[in-house]
Amino acid sequence: MGPAGGFGRLGDLLDRDDDQPRVAVVLLAAGVAAAVLSPLIWLLVGAAELSAAEAVALLTSNTTGDVLVNSLALVGIVTAASVALGVPLAVLTVQTDLPFRRFWTVLAALPLVVPSYIGAFAYVSAFGPSGALPDLLTDVGLGAVVPLLPTVYGLGGTALVLTLFTYPYVFLTTRASLLSFDTTQLEAARTLNHSYPQAFRRVILPQIAPGVTAGALLVALYTLSDFGTPAIMRFDVFTRVIYVELNSFGVGRANATLLSMQLLAVTAVILALESRVSGDTAAGYGTPSSVKSVVSLGPVRWLAACLPAVVSVFTLALPVGILTMWLVRSGPGYSGGGLAFRPEFATNSVYVAVLTAAATVLFALPVAYYAGRSDSPLSKVVERATYLGYAMPGVVLGLALVFFSSRWLLDTFGPGAAQLVYQSLPLLVFAYVVRFLPQAVGSTRSSVLGVDRDLVGAARLLGEPPRGAFRRVTLPLISPGLLAGAALVFLTTMKELDTTLILHPTGFTTIVTYIWRVQEAGYYGRAALPALVLVAVSGLSMVPLLRGRDDD
Amino acid sequence: MTDDDTTNGRRTYRRRKVLAGLGAAGAAGLAGCGALGGDSGTETGGAGRTTDGEDSVGAAFEEFRGSGPLAEGRADVGGTRIADLPNLSGELTIYLGGGEGGLYRDLLARFERIYPDFTYNAREAGTADTANTIISEGAATPADVFWSVDAGSLAAVANEGLTASLPSEVVDPVPDEFHPDDSWVGTAGRARAVPYNTDELSAEDVPDDVMAFPEVEGFRNAIGWAPTYGAFQSFITAMRLIEGEDATREWLRGMLDAGVTEYNNEFLVSNSVADGALNAGFANHYYALRVQAARPNAPIDLAFTSGDAGGLINVAGAAVTAASQNQDLAFTFVRHLLSAEAQEFFATRTYAYPMVGDIPPVGGLPPVSELNPPSIDLNELSNIQPTLDLMREVGVL
Repeated sequence: MGPAGGFGRLGDLLDRDDDQPRVAVVLLAAGVAAAVLSPLIWLLVGAAELSAAEAVALLTSNTTGDVLVNSLALVGIVTAASVALGVPLAVLTVQTDLPFRRFWTVLAALPLVVPSYIGAFAYVSAFGPSGALPDLLTDVGLGAVVPLLPTVYGLGGTALVLTLFTYPYVFLTTRASLLSFDTTQLEAARTLNHSYPQAFRRVILPQIAPGVTAGALLVALYTLSDFGTPAIMRFDVFTRVIYVELNSFGVGRANATLLSMQLLAVTAVILALESRVSGDTAAGYGTPSSVKSVVSLGPVRWLAACLPAVVSVFTLALPVGILTMWLVRSGPGYSGGGLAFRPEFATNSVYVAVLTAAATVLFALPVAYYAGRSDSPLSKVVERATYLGYAMPGVVLGLALVFFSSRWLLDTFGPGAAQLVYQSLPLLVFAYVVRFLPQAVGSTRSSVLGVDRDLVGAARLLGEPPRGAFRRVTLPLISPGLLAGAALVFLTTMKELDTTLILHPTGFTTIVTYIWRVQEAGYYGRAALPALVLVAVSGLSMVPLLRGRDDD
Repeated sequence: MTDDDTTNGRRTYRRRKVLAGLGAAGAAGLAGCGALGGDSGTETGGAGRTTDGEDSVGAAFEEFRGSGPLAEGRADVGGTRIADLPNLSGELTIYLGGGEGGLYRDLLARFERIYPDFTYNAREAGTADTANTIISEGAATPADVFWSVDAGSLAAVANEGLTASLPSEVVDPVPDEFHPDDSWVGTAGRARAVPYNTDELSAEDVPDDVMAFPEVEGFRNAIGWAPTYGAFQSFITAMRLIEGEDATREWLRGMLDAGVTEYNNEFLVSNSVADGALNAGFANHYYALRVQAARPNAPIDLAFTSGDAGGLINVAGAAVTAASQNQDLAFTFVRHLLSAEAQEFFATRTYAYPMVGDIPPVGGLPPVSELNPPSIDLNELSNIQPTLDLMREVGVL
């Protein structure tokens, strides 16, 4: 499946000269949404195993109430903190003359490549009881201070780690919006004697609001579905309780399903809230965006550089330092053939992540287009529907797809079909698309919003066929959003664990499943090298993706 | 503490440092000595054996034995050698449940080297994930063998009627309690134990009755557990079966009142004991050995409780799926997991308890015959839901 051909045909469909999206686009978008929602059917089948009384008992138990409160508190704190961190960093790196802007841009986005469970491990190793920091304090004679340190466990530590490793969602989507933002408007505002803060509030903020909201939504839903961090930080949220239930047999699976439904209900509420607050904006003038800085900070430049620097210390230097410490410190652990790291694990990871990124962007384009071009209720529903899979815990999604692709296909179409689909690479990629589609939809949609329809109309008037107009006008304008989406999907696929463990083709080891293998066996030292490789490979992929724009 | 004038040997190990015996040779079981000398065995079927090259069936026993202080100085062991088993030939799909996938793959790779006609496909996830995956797959499962580190997960799959009954020649070398109904067989044992810090406590400070732990002064605010870990939940399940729901609830509450600290897994519990952050903890026995292998001078030792849930011996084990098209090969494969070489591999590399009596455990561990596990059917360990409800009700989970 060549992405290029796919884009051509899509462009044909997408840039007809009528104002409203054509039926084909609507159908395509609705089809994508339906495909993404299909695993929910298998969830319902699983939940049906519970009796009504059991279900009510579980849903009204004290634990469930606590878990709901905990989850909502965590989501609220992490989302607010990520916006507070991500938006200023995006503005600094796009619109000011910050020294070494490119460098800080990469560093600000990089925490996304650190799997949050590795981040959590690093923080526990650094600040936890008998961690590196208490040891250090004791060594320099400040042992008395140690009991006064705040605990890393619980809500505080969980929120801190999740914020540090998910704020780049807000940073990247805001950045993409700022890049597609037409700076002539800002200059116009400045000539009208608006100060930069005034201009920011009146001109920029309305324009980038969809991007910020898209990022905030991704952070909120990631926080809901993340299992590793709350588990390591010992904070009881939905995913942790679901995990415990899934580790039992019989009714436990139905309980887990029920809790997942509850989690998805919370997701639906968040989506509804989000569509209330995110106002759609008028389209911009679609002139090529400018990446030259527009605000001169003067001597404050160097002070401003402290923000990304400090953030990077906590998001990158600390985990990499701890991993290196593990690497150096790891004792004479067992080293057998089954525990040896092989380069093919890295290529497997990259291969499946590239496939997923391409497939996800293709799937996202019609949805984003429809949502960006139309205000109909249906378009809202279609776009929102794609977010549900993202909030589904990976284990639950994985088991739903196991049931569908093995037993159901066997019963319906015979063993041939089951063998063809089950544990196949396409099924794994499909699962990733279900989980990560919103990452591409959000950023693509905010770019689509910034495309001026008149420009496309002009191209059509000048004799360009729809495909040409799409390629020469729309695609260059939305490419920052598309690339940001592809980058996000690539990175999250690289580090996804739960679904990968359950659905990977037999014998297909990735970096992450290898890390799981060695750390489950208790050989933390052996997890350090592949974790560093994961961070490095993902990090390299960010550099080309974070260039201002690709003009082709 | 109980009086201790008994001479039955059951308590004598509690009077010496269990893990002090690094490098001290465990007494070798001599029962299987007749089977030593790998070439005297007769083939019981299978194709002609290849004897050319290093990696033929007569592969050196030492290749399976681990290295390091815990494995050194072990005498020859008994058991059935690989040379005496039918050849492996064909292709097997093996689902590995739990955290020893890397080590298990290593053993599988050795089998592949010995038998050029044998290939395996392995996939792994957590014990419950893998069991749930097989249950979801039902008759469509590609798996021939389910090899898991927890008896409960094996029983869960067996309860769904998805396993084949193992023939007697497969299960015979293993004590009956480790193949309760022949739907699966234990391959290596993991004993519940109490790692304790030797700078803070002595062996006598650890009661041999786990139900007395909430009242122990030396544990107050200095004991740790990992309640989300499957093996811990199996231990609480055993307590529920032996002592009843109410006593278990009281015990859990008592431990919370004693200020127990929660950890993510039992390796971290054992590590914290060695660090001195904890005086004692609840963990499978081999984690302390693993800590010790990395830090030979760590002040950590093991105590075992007696005749109660705290002395539970859970097993890693293997089952053959009912849907398998290669059942004969799968049975032969399971026999290989119980060969002397494989058992030595588990004993010296994963520090597990061998399932075959002729092979002793490492590092001064008391042999299984000296431990006093509770008498419960390991299949009942899959009934974990009431345990979770209980733990949740008390606020442990």
